[in-house]
Amino acid sequence: MIVAQAKPIEEILEMIDKYDKILLVGCKGCVAVCAAGGEKEVQFLASAIRTARKTQGREIEIREVTLERQCDPEYVEQIRGFAGDYQAILSIACGVGVQFMAEHYREIPALPGLNTSFMGGALEQGVWSERCQGCGNCVLHLTGGICPITRCSKSLLNGPCGGSSNGKCEVDPEVDCGWQLIIERLKALGEFESRFMEIVPIKDWSTSRDGGPRKIVREDMRQ
Amino acid sequence: MTGRKIGAVMVVGGGIGGVQSALDLAEAGYKVYLVESSPSIGGRMAQLDKTFPTNDCSMCILSPKLVECGRHPDIELLTYSELLGLEGEPGNFRAKVLKHARYVREDICTGCGTCQQKCPRRTASEFDGELGERKAIYVPYPQAIPNVPVIDKQICTYFLKGKCRVCEKVCPAGAIDFEQEDEELEIEVGAVILALGYETFDARLRGEYGYGRYKNVVTSLEFERILSASGPYRGEILRPSDNEHPRRIAWIQCTGSRDTSLGRGYCSSVCCMYAIKEAIIAQEHDPNLELTIFYNDIRAFGKGFEGYYESAKKAGIRFVKSIVSDVKELPRTKDLFIRYVEDGEVKEENFELVVLSVGLEPSEQTKLLAKKLGVELEPCGGFCSTPFFNPLSTTREGVYVCGVFQGPKDIPETVMQASAASAVASATISAERGTMLQQRQYLPEKQIKGEKPKIGVFVCHCGINIAAVVDVEAVRDYARTLPHVVWAEDNLFTCAQDTQERIKKVIQEEGLNRVVVAACSPRTHEPLFRQTLMEVGLNPYLFEMANIRDQCSWVHMKDKEGATQKAKDLVRMAVANAALLEPLERERLPVRKRALVVGGGLAGMTAALGFAEQGFEVFLVEREAELGGNMRHIYWTLSGEDPQAFLEEMIERVTTHPAIQVITNAEVVDHEGVQGNFSTGVMIAPTMTYRKLEHGVTVLATGGEEYKPKEYLYGEHPAVLTQMELEERIARGELDLGELRRVVMIQCVGSRTEQRPYCSRICCSVAVKNALKLKELAPDLEIHVLFRDIRTYGLLEQYYTKARERGVIFTRYIPERPPEVEAEGNRLLVKVWENTLKDDLILEADLVVLSTATLPRENEELAAMFKVQRTLEGFYLEAHMKLRPVDFSSDGIYMCGLAHSPKLMDETISQAQAAVARASTLLAKDEIEVGGVVARVEPELCAACLICVRACPYGVPYICEDGYSVIDPAKCRGCGNCAAECPQKAIQLQHYRDEQLVAKVLALTRGI
Repeated sequence: MIVAQAKPIEEILEMIDKYDKILLVGCKGCVAVCAAGGEKEVQFLASAIRTARKTQGREIEIREVTLERQCDPEYVEQIRGFAGDYQAILSIACGVGVQFMAEHYREIPALPGLNTSFMGGALEQGVWSERCQGCGNCVLHLTGGICPITRCSKSLLNGPCGGSSNGKCEVDPEVDCGWQLIIERLKALGEFESRFMEIVPIKDWSTSRDGGPRKIVREDMRQ
Repeated sequence: MTGRKIGAVMVVGGGIGGVQSALDLAEAGYKVYLVESSPSIGGRMAQLDKTFPTNDCSMCILSPKLVECGRHPDIELLTYSELLGLEGEPGNFRAKVLKHARYVREDICTGCGTCQQKCPRRTASEFDGELGERKAIYVPYPQAIPNVPVIDKQICTYFLKGKCRVCEKVCPAGAIDFEQEDEELEIEVGAVILALGYETFDARLRGEYGYGRYKNVVTSLEFERILSASGPYRGEILRPSDNEHPRRIAWIQCTGSRDTSLGRGYCSSVCCMYAIKEAIIAQEHDPNLELTIFYNDIRAFGKGFEGYYESAKKAGIRFVKSIVSDVKELPRTKDLFIRYVEDGEVKEENFELVVLSVGLEPSEQTKLLAKKLGVELEPCGGFCSTPFFNPLSTTREGVYVCGVFQGPKDIPETVMQASAASAVASATISAERGTMLQQRQYLPEKQIKGEKPKIGVFVCHCGINIAAVVDVEAVRDYARTLPHVVWAEDNLFTCAQDTQERIKKVIQEEGLNRVVVAACSPRTHEPLFRQTLMEVGLNPYLFEMANIRDQCSWVHMKDKEGATQKAKDLVRMAVANAALLEPLERERLPVRKRALVVGGGLAGMTAALGFAEQGFEVFLVEREAELGGNMRHIYWTLSGEDPQAFLEEMIERVTTHPAIQVITNAEVVDHEGVQGNFSTGVMIAPTMTYRKLEHGVTVLATGGEEYKPKEYLYGEHPAVLTQMELEERIARGELDLGELRRVVMIQCVGSRTEQRPYCSRICCSVAVKNALKLKELAPDLEIHVLFRDIRTYGLLEQYYTKARERGVIFTRYIPERPPEVEAEGNRLLVKVWENTLKDDLILEADLVVLSTATLPRENEELAAMFKVQRTLEGFYLEAHMKLRPVDFSSDGIYMCGLAHSPKLMDETISQAQAAVARASTLLAKDEIEVGGVVARVEPELCAACLICVRACPYGVPYICEDGYSVIDPAKCRGCGNCAAECPQKAIQLQHYRDEQLVAKVLALTRGI
């Protein structure tokens, strides 16, 4: 999922300072699962804003909506009937959702209520960790199912650097060395000799962000 | 007319018009007798290869209608029959019909075709334009309905020489009957519709074109057969003299049209478009062909036509504006030498094939019948006379007309009129609706849940169609070995009436709960067998067919062993599928017998009155305070009627009719529901009261409006007007005609442009109408009409001729150099490039009148609310350009009037009546059946991904509040697109579930 976390309330209050009528839009997709932008967070954030504004003596009208997803035009269009009644849309979806709002409602500012952080998964209740950078050219079959692009701080492709010590990364002693994990995993799979000794050639990063904004066109599905 | 009325209608003529009338009437609850003089229904449309402007295969779209007509329990086909006379009075006629002897018994013949194969006598096939052959015993074309041959007595060896009778010997059903005699029937009907169609102009009358003398001069209808894959050359473009591929082909337009010297002063309306179509299709066959169309004006006036014409020009088809003076054959090559004048110069060219675009006219038999019936004909061309504001009524009360017999027209307009005629004809007998229908007896449905499959297999010989190639007994024995099969037998004809009785008996005796028929195509026969199942209480979906004829014996004639093996494979697959068939539920929903008509102009009011006359209640919702729409601004017609008087009377009828509720000042604000059960909210000004209307059908007649131009100083100079403004000013006496010396009209203002690439259809005849009016009021007034093509189609051509006779000057301009208008004080200077003179004409004008485009009225929001589609130009988009011209693709919603496309008042009236007819087929029913083969969603699996929402061509699925896709069985058409696209496999199309298809494939591979 796309993992995000709430922006500090102060930042949000500053963002909406000049408005007294806003539309707060949550998303039932990834951000609902990582407890940052679902129905419940919409209610929390709305009351937090109302309370803050009340104490300032400037009341604010907030309409709360949670859409199935904010990354499909059909769902984004569901607020068409009333979006125009508000001065701003505060979206607590990921960055995609905020941008879709901005693209569909050109007259109304779309504001982000979250910081979109990474693509990852839940390790336990309340803990999420990054797993993928969307490089566009997966190598997990070579690295024992552990991503060197994401898990190694330097995204190295051919083994650990000199900064790996006792299984930890020199960047942060709390962070596991990605390559240590890979080597252990390859050994456990009995693939160490065959995989690790093989030099992985220079990666073509054009499928990653280096190639500019990306787009997928599936001609077989287009209508 | 106090006598008893009869709930039956006779439709005379079995072309597309008659077929459509018959289907609409039968579906609306009337018994129909469809009388056709030739051996089968289908008419001219069956002969066409493709249709403009969509290039749909003509037969492919027609054939399902023919099949439907042929098997409809309330339509009685009387083919090879003619109407002799009509006695009695409207509501209660006695029709005398002569049924010619076919010498083949319709009740026994199974259409196996053996007789045709074996008949030794050949002759030229009329159906193939005499370019191909048929036998003495024949079915005119393979898809003919009824599929029963006739014996042509004129050439049959037995009838001529008393010997032969081969057909009788080979007929496996014993259907040949040489003793049959003509039969005279007397049939009681309440009304009659004449859909007598046309024949093409006899091109021999234009001797200078050499038709009949030169083999390579063919008519356009013959060329259709040349193009057709089922035609005499199997779809190869060959020329008759040497069966070689021609390279250069010419079309000569207006052969037998727009020709007063031949007594045909009308335009045949369709020839420009069919010539363009034939050229486009010919080019698809062979891109190297050089194609030239010699024309007078290109009359691409219908919906989507102008774009089609433009695409032909882009594709390199050459258009030469010239009337060809003569055609000569070159003796050695049989090529054709054409002489014509272009831009003042005589030119000569050779072609290898010449196609004469022949006009349409009522046949001599048609004229004779009209005379017998006391139906008056137009002096121009002998088409049926109809009052302008009642275009479906003949001069004999109770006798109605549609199609080309009423005036030249294309297929969609014929279909519209056919539906419309069914509405007006049945309005007079609507109290008798449903009194003469067939009642079917069904046993209550047997519950089979929990039962093990018990499958019966019936293998058909189809005479020798299957049995001559496939070892039917071996297939039958093989079927007995398949899992769940408890019964297998073979039949000479599984579709025969006695076999149906036998199947029913076996189902009951053996306790079958699934039936497989291995025979022909489910397309034609599945409904019959399903019916049989229902009659003994089996759910009709517990049936499966294996097509061992079309897909086996017919295509593997040379490999009997292989074919038998394949037939076994097909049966094994069918049985595997049958074991998994489930009974499907069909829900019955009551129909609200009330219509909503949106728009209170001519179209809307006509529709409202139409519904009321059919005995249905109507809401007529109009946005403005008054009814009437555009018609309030029309003061005269070409044929001399008084539209304002008509309008006044119509408003009176609409507002006082007890079944019509008129709601003016009302705006539609919401809409929901399915066919039969809609609910629409309106907001009524000035109090803004909200009212909810509940209705079963909807007609959108939201109209159009005249384009207010930005061109030609309009709005800047007081002497520049639109046609509607001119008409208004003349009518109100606001124009000082004595002061005027010269008026210039400019055509195509805002039409046929890049921004609005369609022809507005009506502006040419409106210009002619107003020019004639001005000439009538001020004979010395000089009137110029600057035009691109004059499109006074059909019988309107007469008025164009009249305008020229009265001295109106028509000057062609070319779109590359359009006219220019400059102001010089009070006067206006019009400059126009005259392409023949190669010089500018400068006209000083007192008045410049712009013939501006017709635009649809603002309807975007409304269209979104009703979920209906629009064209790029904003006109409503019909479900099918040719055969469903008033239906939207969503059921229960219909369109008419200018909102569909520009049209004249009489055409609007026809279309509005057509909408009534189509809607009545639904309103006539007390309940509709929904469900059956529809898509079903498994909510737990749904990911709310929206792919089904996007894939559905009818806009049915939506994601509900709980986040899963919902597909309303009442709206689903069962096309299966969503089921195929669903990435989660959350959607299954009932009757075609994955499990079934997998079982079929596995059954197939088991045998390999």
